[in-house]
This record gives sequence, structure tokens and C-alpha cells, in this order.
Amino acid sequence: MRRALLTTALLAALAAPAAAQATLDWSEAEIRLVGQHGPWPPPPARDPSNRVSATPVGIVLGEHLFSDARLSGDGLVSCATCHQEGRDWSDGRALGKGRADLDRRTPSLWNVGYSHWFGWSGAADSLWAHTIKPILDAREMAGSSARVARLLREDKELACGYERAFGRKPDGDDEQMLVNAAKALAAFQATLVSPRTRFDDFRDALMAGDREAAARYGQSEQRGLKLFIGEANCNACHFGPRFTNGEFGDIGIGFFVRPGEVDAGRLGGIAALADSPFNLLGRYNDDASGANARRTRHVRRLHSNFGEFRVPGLRQVGRSAAYMHNGSLATVEDVVRHYSEVSPDRLHSDGTPLVRALGLSAGQSSDLVAFLRSLDAAPPPRPSPPPLCP
Amino acid sequence: MRLLAALVAFFVTGPAWAGCPLDLGRGAGLVIFSDHYMIAFRPDPLRIEVGEPFALVFNVCTKSGTAGELVAVDAQMPEHKHAMNYHPSIVAKGDGRFRAEGLVFHMAGHWEISIDVRAGEEIERLTHDFYIK
Ligand code: HEC
Ligand code: HEC
Repeated sequence: MRRALLTTALLAALAAPAAAQATLDWSEAEIRLVGQHGPWPPPPARDPSNRVSATPVGIVLGEHLFSDARLSGDGLVSCATCHQEGRDWSDGRALGKGRADLDRRTPSLWNVGYSHWFGWSGAADSLWAHTIKPILDAREMAGSSARVARLLREDKELACGYERAFGRKPDGDDEQMLVNAAKALAAFQATLVSPRTRFDDFRDALMAGDREAAARYGQSEQRGLKLFIGEANCNACHFGPRFTNGEFGDIGIGFFVRPGEVDAGRLGGIAALADSPFNLLGRYNDDASGANARRTRHVRRLHSNFGEFRVPGLRQVGRSAAYMHNGSLATVEDVVRHYSEVSPDRLHSDGTPLVRALGLSAGQSSDLVAFLRSLDAAPPPRPSPPPLCP
Repeated sequence: MRLLAALVAFFVTGPAWAGCPLDLGRGAGLVIFSDHYMIAFRPDPLRIEVGEPFALVFNVCTKSGTAGELVAVDAQMPEHKHAMNYHPSIVAKGDGRFRAEGLVFHMAGHWEISIDVRAGEEIERLTHDFYIK
């Protein structure tokens, strides 16, 4: 008994200073910057342009459609072919592959409901408008509005789910049916919110001044975070709770798709957006106030948009390799090496560049990797979707 | 501090500007001026958030008392030579009042807004610095 007590006392004595040291010193300014990456999770996403956004009946219809290969031209490809639940809603490949090979990587759909531009070049201004693209694209699902409309009208379960979601039978014209299918799909995707992480626990503890709880976050992770918001300036672009400002940047990743052919990135995205009948300035926007179309109305084309791609969010980043719009980097370590060694020839900037070769030491690199990995967490298992019309 | 200085200067040079209403509603506002112009403005919403669209509401006055026009509003990050990814549009509200809609500061840091006004042929540019945290 006495020995046990003694050991406990000894352990406590040993543990106390260790715990006190385990949080690095964080200045007021740093704490404020760390705080900007939370709180998590945010309130559920709501999209005023989508009448079934955040409605249980819209979400359940969307979840059924998400894995329904009958939306595709040959009945073989669904959204879930490329956006797989078990692979963090991506496909584990460097470049997407549907009926044909694609030129870009399949992004994870975690937290996609909080974005305002969609796809690597932001060619869509709403989640439902983006969703139409893979259904129609010959290389992805090669479907058609007629096919989607027929499916919704003729399948009894889906027709019933549609009527519940939209308050009327699936009797609109084909294009309207396509849009509504996409709106239900969007309602579902917006529920994919990544779980809380070790970083979130640290962030909340730091904000609350709870040193003991903060000390559970590893020292290497803390040093990596300090770099991220400090010297390395990663948070200039990877800003906010999702670690993206939702806009576009050029970090020196190549944009040749194959010799002689380039992916113009944001420049092409703005052109595609303007051409789309499904953008928020068109007739399918359910928000009569038009307030949600502000970005679309005011977006401007700049020379610097050439070769810019959307700043990806970093939650769950370690779980869904490969990386970058073209899948050209295989691991998180490769990404950090890129930022450490990127050649200035690849970056065009007139002013102080936001991205420059950081020349990180081996220790700093592994700290940054440790921090990035602390943004990962295993999601709880999902129950299968409830029936459409019980 | 800067605002206070501007306000003090305003009241000192008061009489010439006497007809210029500084009140933009909601109390707070910023004031900048040159030899010819005095411009009161404020963001709407008042707090500018990184990445979130906002508007600027203006009241443009001239020393001579002739009508002033807000021609253009833009912003850039001088250190990085970054323009805004959005092009604001301007709506005249009458009586020297204007609203510039569709600004977005997509990064934290120093943003310089430029405000182009005219009362006649020549356009004059006034600037103001925002530091977004
Ligand atoms: C053949 C593989 C494939 C299929 C099938 C597919 N996607 Fe994708 N998805 C991609 C790729 C590749 C991108 C990147 C596209 C781009 O940037 O142009 C993408 C991008 C997206 C995005 C944008 C994500 C973001 O972060 O902006 C959404 C949303 C999305 N897909 C939803 C869907 C839905 C819903 C379906 C089914 C209707 C679907 N996808 C079918 C491969 C696929
Ligand atoms: C100038 C804005 C900017 C800065 C600063 C920046 N990034 Fe990025 N980051 C991006 C963009 C844009 C991409 C996507 C580029 C592409 O696909 O071509 C990206 C991609 C990434 C990816 C890959 C994510 C994925 O899903 O493919 C990671 C990880 C990452 N950045 C981490 C960092 C770290 C760590 C830092 C600091 C050392 C940093 N970034 C600094 C803009 C930035």
C-alpha cells in the first residue's frame, strides 16, 4: 500500500513538470490565429439556392441517388464509383477514372457544403450545379436529362421519394427533373461533415486557457501548427475552420495535361461558369432575393487566374491521397517537400510571393507533417440510408 | 486614431463642408478627404470577414458644393500586388450617396481600397487602408 502511494506520488511529481512543459508558449496573437481554424463542426450548411437543402426528405432522396448507377448512360457508373465512402469520398487514385480517364484528381467530398466555388477551377457556383456536370459528362457518367427524368418517373420508390422531397409528382420537363435530382444529391452531400480531430481539441483547450487539455496535443504537432500559422504562412490561403479561403491560388504545380495541352485552371473555370445555364444568375436559383448570387455577379477574370486552382481544405487530408488538382504528389511528405523546395521559376508574382521555397529542416518538415496529420480523424460508421417511402 | 484625426480635421475645416451629412446610419463610419472631396463611408456589414462578400456605402461631398460622383471602387494587397477576385458594382442612391456591392477580401492582411470620384471632367483617386485580421 505504502509502496503504491509512494509510486503514485513519484509519478505525479514526474508528470507535473512534464505536463507543464508539454504546451509550447503561445502568444496572444498566435492563439487568435489558431482560433480562426475553428470551432468545429460548424452549423449545418444551408443553401438558399436549393429548395431541398437541409430537408430530411431531400437528403434521403439524394443519398439513394448518390449510389444509383442508373443515372449513367451505361448503367455502370454512380457518384459513389468515384466518391467512395470508404475512401473519404474520393477514389484513392491520382487522376479520376470513369468511362474514360480524367485530367484531374477526384476531390474528397468532406465539408463540400460549405464551399462557394466547386471543382478545381470553380466552374460551378453551387453544389447542385456542380453535381449536374458529372451526370452529363461523357467521360464520367454520360447520362442525360431525359434519362434522369425517366428514372425518377418510372421507378416507384424514387418517384415516391421525389414527391415527398419536392411536394409534387416527377412531372416537370426533363431539364427541371435533372436540376431537382441534382438538388437532392446536393442536399445529401452537404451533410458530409468531417469529424472533430485532435487539432480541434487542442484549439478549444488553447482558447479556453486549459493548459492540461492542450498538453495532450503532441509537441511536434504544436511546432508544426506554429509554422503553419507563422513563418510558413500557410494560413494565408488555408484559412478558417476548413483550412481554405475558398478561392484560388498558384503554388507552382504544373498545368500541362499532356505535351502541348494545358489546364487553364481558374481562367477556364470562370468561362465555364459564365456559359452555364445552371449558374446562380439563371432560372433555377431558388433564392428570390438573389443575395447568394453576389459572387457570381461580381467575379472578375484576371490574367493571374491562368494556372490557378482552388485552395483545397485540409481536414482529413492525410486520409485521401493523392494530392493537388492533377494528383501529382503522392504523400503528405511530398507536399511538404514541395513547399520547402519549390523553384521560384514556377511561381510568378510581382510582389512579395505568398509561396516561396521555405527551406525547411528535416525536423521542421516532420513537424509540419505531424500537424497536417492531426487534422485527420476516423469517421464513425454510417448507417445505411432509410428507405425512401417506408 | 486615424478616424479621430479625420473627424477633428473635419470639424476644424467645418464651414466649407457644412452641408455634407456624415451620418451613414449605424453610427460608425470612416472619413477621408482631399482638397476637393470629403467622403464618408462604412462597410456593410460593419465587420469585414476574410473571404466574405461585403458592400461599402458612401457619401460623397465636394468642397465647392457641386455634385460628386463615385466612379469606381477597387482594392488590392499592395505587398503581394494581388487584386480582388471580384469587381464591385456601384449604384447611385441620390444626394451624393452610393453603394459599392461585391467586394471580397480573400486573405487576411493589408488591403488598400481606391475610391475614384469626380465632379466634372477630372477623376481623383482617394485611398484608404484596411488591415483585416
Ligand atoms: C468518374 C469519376 C467521377 C464520378 C462518376 C463523379 N465524380 Fe465528382 N468529381 C470527380 C472529379 C475528377 C472531380 C474534379 C472535377 C473538376 O475539378 O473539374 C469531381 C468533383 C466533384 C465535386 C466538387 C468538389 C469540390 O470540392 O469542389 C463534387 C461536389 C462532386 N464531384 C460530386 C459528384 C456527384 C454528386 C457525382 C454523381 C452525380 C459525381 N461527383 C460523380 C470525379 C467523379
Ligand atoms: C498561395 C496560397 C497557398 C499557400 C500560402 C499555401 N497553399 Fe497549400 N495549396 C494551395 C493551392 C491553390 C493548392 C492546390 C494546388 C493545385 O492543385 O494545383 C494547395 C494544396 C495543398 C495541399 C494538398 C491538398 C490536396 O487535397 O490536394 C496541402 C496538403 C497543402 N496545400 C498544404 C499547405 C501547407 C502546409 C502550406 C504552408 C507551407 C501551404 N499549403 C501554403 C494554396 C496555398
